[in-house]
Amino acid sequence: MIKEQKPTVFVVDDDAAVRDSLRLLLKSVGLPVEVFESGQDFLDAERDDRPGCLVLDIRMPGMSGLELQVKLNERHSILPIIFITGHGDVPMAVEAMQAGAVDFIQKPFRDQDLLDRINQALEKDAGSRRMLAERNMIRKRLESLTPREREVLDLVVAGKANKVIAGDLNLSQRTVEIHRARVMEKMEAHSLAHLVRMVLEVERPET
Amino acid sequence: MANKHSQAVRGAAERRLRSGKELEFRAILDAAVDAIVVIDHEGTIHEFSQAAQQVFGYAPEEIVGRNVRELMPEPYQSEHDGYLARYRDTGRPSIIGVGREVRARRKDGTLFACDLAVGQVRGVEPPRFIGFIRDITARKEAEEQLRRSEAELRLAQELANLGNYVIHADSSTPDYFSPQLYRILGVQPGDTGVVREEFLGRWVHASDRKRVAEAFAHMDAGLAPLDIEYQITLRNGTVKHLHHLAQAVRDGDGRVLKYVGTIHDVTDRRRAEDEARVLQERLTHFSRLSTMGEMAAGLAHEINQPLSAIATYSQACQRLIRQPQPEIDDVVAALEQINAQALRAGEVIRRLRNFVKNREVKREPVNCARLLEDLRTLAETDARLHNIRLRLDCHEPLPTVYADPIQLQQVVLNLVRNAIDAMADAPEDRREVVLTTREASDGEVEVTVADHGTGLAPEATEHLFNPFFTTKAAGTGLGLAISRSIVRAHGGRLWHTPNDECGVRFHFTLPVSPAVTTGE
Repeated sequence: MIKEQKPTVFVVDDDAAVRDSLRLLLKSVGLPVEVFESGQDFLDAERDDRPGCLVLDIRMPGMSGLELQVKLNERHSILPIIFITGHGDVPMAVEAMQAGAVDFIQKPFRDQDLLDRINQALEKDAGSRRMLAERNMIRKRLESLTPREREVLDLVVAGKANKVIAGDLNLSQRTVEIHRARVMEKMEAHSLAHLVRMVLEVERPET
Repeated sequence: MANKHSQAVRGAAERRLRSGKELEFRAILDAAVDAIVVIDHEGTIHEFSQAAQQVFGYAPEEIVGRNVRELMPEPYQSEHDGYLARYRDTGRPSIIGVGREVRARRKDGTLFACDLAVGQVRGVEPPRFIGFIRDITARKEAEEQLRRSEAELRLAQELANLGNYVIHADSSTPDYFSPQLYRILGVQPGDTGVVREEFLGRWVHASDRKRVAEAFAHMDAGLAPLDIEYQITLRNGTVKHLHHLAQAVRDGDGRVLKYVGTIHDVTDRRRAEDEARVLQERLTHFSRLSTMGEMAAGLAHEINQPLSAIATYSQACQRLIRQPQPEIDDVVAALEQINAQALRAGEVIRRLRNFVKNREVKREPVNCARLLEDLRTLAETDARLHNIRLRLDCHEPLPTVYADPIQLQQVVLNLVRNAIDAMADAPEDRREVVLTTREASDGEVEVTVADHGTGLAPEATEHLFNPFFTTKAAGTGLGLAISRSIVRAHGGRLWHTPNDECGVRFHFTLPVSPAVTTGE
């Protein structure tokens, strides 16, 4: 299975008090937290693509929250973003949501509302990471196939019977059966349906 | 009969000429400056002196023997015989020994004013009369001129509401008050109640009394002429503002002979000035309110920040305390922060209230650096909202300026907000307003607000300081006009220059030493 890493909540807010109060709140519920004063500080930090989520002030001098979001998108970051907005920032919040933010919350907020959103974001992050990990695993298994096994796999997934595959590849039906068994074994597929699902999973365009 | 009579006149004259007395008489007659005409009881002219010939334009042969009526215009001409007849009948003279001003007629028919004195030659029968006639045309003209200039002066004083006076140190010499002065003071001409003691003690407004008494004392001591404005209350209770100028006139020993002065009723002007000042103050206040209105979103954010922190800290505290082994240090730190953030929110509100409060304009010593630091919260509010950095660059130590701190903040805030607006579309790396204060070389503090915005269009430069001129969709167009009038009232200047690469710098100066202007 995948090695479980404890997720971190990253906070970017230029206001020292808001930043510090968030740090303390998250600490009080036992969530690892790292705070940053600006978007640039966050980008510069070595995060090693750790799991977690980002709590981001939408309005900051210099690089705004929206600008940081654009930069993270450019870097194919999957980190879910919860925006903190003030009154009257709805248009900006809409823009943020369209750019893929998971949620936004208006200041001042009830702690539970924020924590609920953070938990949802962390679950989403974990889900994304699980999916990514699974795809990587499937890709590794696919890479372990020989060219002939890959050919057989593609025709199996295309729904062709062994006899048809043997005809297509100019092989004996017995040989096709052996390749097919090797494929099932290497791909660790429990059933034909499982095999098909795995192949479709990696061939689907990334979200 | 007339002919016979004139022969008799000539005969008498010839007889007189023969004697020495006659010669003396002739000499007097011809040397006299006044015209002399001798007539008899019927008005017939017997003598007509040299001066008379000049004044009336008749040669003696043209007029001697004719009736004196010819020298008179109507109605004297018709009435003269009656005068003579009455005198003959009653012996009561109407003119003799009295003299009067009459009009006489020259040969060419023109009239002139003259003084006439008539004497009777006693001891001759029928009686003779000697008339002395002095041409007073020049004097009359001078009198008329004087009368006119007095009328003009009175009118001018009335129009200007200005009165003048001469007050003698010696109480026996009557003082002079011009008619307008009586009117200004609301007393009847000749009212002697307005003596200095009463004036200073009762008329002058209590709050001005000390100042006015000092000014009078200075004039008495010869230190300075009187030049002072003050309020008085008239006997009927009317309050007036006077501008009083006066000087003491002294004799060779330096003793005061008299005081010469003017009193100008400036009540209307002062009232207009007061009204203008109140309007200006209201407008300035209105402008601050409208600025704050425009900044409401930013201000809400600025207050929301600490409130938000307080809410989060307190919620964190509750969670921390509920833990089986609470980390007390964290709780204490959070509580300290709650306190600090509450104060921070309060401070924003305090500055806001100070800024919009309708208050008396009050000059006081102001530390520029501290003032700008105080302003920072308000200015940054707007800057943050527009994603613009605000940099403060104070070259300390700065000397103290004498100013109204709120009005100064208003000027700086206006300039900063203009700078922010000018950079609405500026790229990220240029979005910075730099606020610089430094001591300029010539005893002034200079404040500069620099932006990197779009700069000023030439047509905008021209109208920049005009009230209601604005390049902004939601602007009142009052910001710069009011800013400049505030700076000017403080004895400073407000101007702009292009910034190095792009944008504008607005500068204003304030004198370091107290500058008091009256235009405020």
